[in-house]
Amino acid sequence: MNRRLFTLAATALAALPVSTPSLAADELRVMVHSSFALPKPLLAQFEAQNNIKLAIIKGGDAGEMLNKLILTRAQPVADAVFGIDNTLVGKALAAGVLEPSLPQTASASEATLGPALAPVDYGFVTLNYDKASVATSGLALPKTLQELTLPAYKGWLVTPNPATSSTGYAFLLATISGLGEDNAFAWWAQMRANGLKVVKGWSEAYYTDFARNKGAYPLVVSYATSPAAEVFYSKEKITESPTASLNLHGGVFRQVEGVGLVKGGSQREAALKFVDFMRSEPVQQALQTEMWMYPARSGTARAEVMRHAAEPAAFEAPAAQVIASQGAAWVARWTKVVLK
Amino acid sequence: MTGSATRSVRRSDLHTNLWLALLPAAALLLLLIAPLARLALSGFTGEAGWPGAAPGTWSLWMPWQDDYLRWRVLWSLAQAGITCVLAFALGLPLAWVLARFEFAGRTLVLRLLMLPFVVPTLVAALGVLALWGPRGLLSGWLGINLQDTPWLLLYGNLFFNLCMVVRAGVDALGQVNAREVAAARSLGATPWRAFWRIEWPAIAPWLMSSLCLVFLYCFAGFGLALVLGGQRFATVEVEIYTLVAHELQIGQASVLALWMLGLTGSVALLYALLEKRLAAPSRVEPVLRRPPQGMAQWLALLAALGALFFICALPVLAIVWQAWLAGWATWVGVFDAEVRAALWNTLRFSAMALALATLLGVLHALAAQRSVFWRAAAFLPFVVSPVTVAFGLLLLYPGWTASLPLLLAAYAVLAYPFVAKSMAAGLDSLPAHLLQAARTLGASPQRTFWRVTLPLLRPALRRGMAFAAATALGEFAVTLFLSRPEWATLTTLIYRRLGHPGAASLDQAFVLASLLMLLALLAFLLIEWPVAERDVAGRPVERQLQTGDLRHA
Repeated sequence: MNRRLFTLAATALAALPVSTPSLAADELRVMVHSSFALPKPLLAQFEAQNNIKLAIIKGGDAGEMLNKLILTRAQPVADAVFGIDNTLVGKALAAGVLEPSLPQTASASEATLGPALAPVDYGFVTLNYDKASVATSGLALPKTLQELTLPAYKGWLVTPNPATSSTGYAFLLATISGLGEDNAFAWWAQMRANGLKVVKGWSEAYYTDFARNKGAYPLVVSYATSPAAEVFYSKEKITESPTASLNLHGGVFRQVEGVGLVKGGSQREAALKFVDFMRSEPVQQALQTEMWMYPARSGTARAEVMRHAAEPAAFEAPAAQVIASQGAAWVARWTKVVLK
Repeated sequence: MTGSATRSVRRSDLHTNLWLALLPAAALLLLLIAPLARLALSGFTGEAGWPGAAPGTWSLWMPWQDDYLRWRVLWSLAQAGITCVLAFALGLPLAWVLARFEFAGRTLVLRLLMLPFVVPTLVAALGVLALWGPRGLLSGWLGINLQDTPWLLLYGNLFFNLCMVVRAGVDALGQVNAREVAAARSLGATPWRAFWRIEWPAIAPWLMSSLCLVFLYCFAGFGLALVLGGQRFATVEVEIYTLVAHELQIGQASVLALWMLGLTGSVALLYALLEKRLAAPSRVEPVLRRPPQGMAQWLALLAALGALFFICALPVLAIVWQAWLAGWATWVGVFDAEVRAALWNTLRFSAMALALATLLGVLHALAAQRSVFWRAAAFLPFVVSPVTVAFGLLLLYPGWTASLPLLLAAYAVLAYPFVAKSMAAGLDSLPAHLLQAARTLGASPQRTFWRVTLPLLRPALRRGMAFAAATALGEFAVTLFLSRPEWATLTTLIYRRLGHPGAASLDQAFVLASLLMLLALLAFLLIEWPVAERDVAGRPVERQLQTGDLRHA
């Protein structure tokens, strides 16, 4: 009886291996976070020069991307990974998803991420404010994080959730590093009472709730380069950014992003080429206005628009080991203090 | 036929049944029961299972000791309960109006009540956003902001579940004996009294069993809560997903999943008990439908249709409207390589899953013909949440996490009960004499199956496949867990676009959602429409649909 049923079953089963995308021998799979962007011609040039096809896989927010690598490490989904930063490198190494060492090319003057990752760019997570709404409020900008807990600043700040956003996570780490753990959580508790808004990711915070984008919050946890991006993307030509960074003690985190090889990935040679590519002059130039980060290689010319994005003079940069060992507990504590 | 011959036939039937049951049994065991057992194990031992997973402290009782998690569990229960109350309060009068009044387009309205079941969860969530979200049609018009309130989620829940309760109510009211109602009325009972004393006792078990399902769906709901719940009003399922995908807190997630399993299991048990109490529909003389008479009845009818339109149709229309507003440029621009790949993924995954689900479903139905136990087993994939299943699979088969066979197998296991249930119902209604005639005329059992049984069951098979296809097309939770990034389907792509709330990405999300809805509808029509009118026995098909056939993630 079951001849046709078996035929059906056999067809269904036979379809499986056929349809599994066969890994083209000359394809390099690169896992990146959702903010990755480079000009298409540059990527095409890399493909042509190395005679390889690039498969760029966007893995979501940086933290989510790393978790994907960890959960799929038995069958690596990528050969190279870009976007693991100093907040995540410890976790990545502990989980064993990275090739432990790369031929190092970074110069001594650069911030490093250890032997597994070559630094590509860096940036600063810091507060941004909307100049117009601060002006209409008639209030002076707060000079310390503590001032933000005053009733006058009630309902001023929107932040991405550290549990789901690497931007929010970096800001949490900055407060802990700058204020000390207990003070930091006390500050977060006061902020909660003072109308702090928490959203899932940076883009929601910035594009929905930040006053610059018709939201209700004059302050947002964002990047030191965001004011420059505002100028770059503005419809009319403007000479001054409508937003600016507000660099407060304990509110600035230096983030360094790197590129590395995924353990168990194939295409080792091409992956190493990709590492060099990400540190090459054209990419270092282009990433400034594509991903809004500062180039890691010292001596790279700054894009003209980056003059609207001054680097903060002081910042927090806690050690990767500390972050790796305590980060999860801090996020859990934060969730309790701010959300529960 | 002599007694010994009968026995030997029975024995060979038993053998056939065992063989038939082999594949579905293996699928259930390997893809459902084993992962759940694994989950239970790590819930009990609190073992993390992944190197680099964050160390944390947890215990089995943690969801009740920790304020934050307790709120999640309690809110999940509360929103399901509130939805049940709302769906009941609105659904009963709506069902009564639809069941008792005859009006032009009634059949169409009843058929449209099926619409929410083919709408993917994520599309429904977008529909709610299109109406009530930050830049929504109604919220903008009325100037209110429902963001960060529980109303978005409750509205989304109602969108899916109100239709189900109404359908169950209409079906149940069709079982009420007209003579009893007439007797009550002629003995002087007011319509109200007649309703409460005659109609209500007859329909209550049906409504209760559908409310059980509503509770189950809402409690284990994922997609709606993920998009509409925000930070505060998300459900336990969302919390499990966040713990795994964002925080890699496997131990905590297992404990939560274990509790979910226990809670949904108890509700499912309650449902099974209620279902068992439902008497098989006896032949009754249904209450005659009459055209509405007088102002009040017309108003009631209009109010009912208006309410249905507002809750069940408006979100869908809002998506289409928003997608239309997005403009031609967005429609053209949206078909970039990423979307084309996602479209292709959605189609091929669904097709492959459908083939597998059909095979499993047919075998299961055939095996279940004489076994109550097997019948109940078909419910299993309905009562566990997709998030729980996906998470269990992830823990049990770490080496297979990013492999297509596992993804498709999970799709198929979650979708095949539709086929199994529909086929089982079809087999029950099969007139035995036709098969006996075929056998008497010398056809082998195999030949009888292919030439008689299967052709007669084609409508049932198509219906089951239609729902299975719609489920696969809209699959979301399992895809988020088990898929490789490059295997993005339309649902995951929509979710990703939602994560970038610029106006342009929201427009794109609406366009993609329209596309997905169109696909689900198309699949449904392609498989279901040509035979939608009559089933084997010539009864209108609507009658046959049980609320238990319907499910969404």
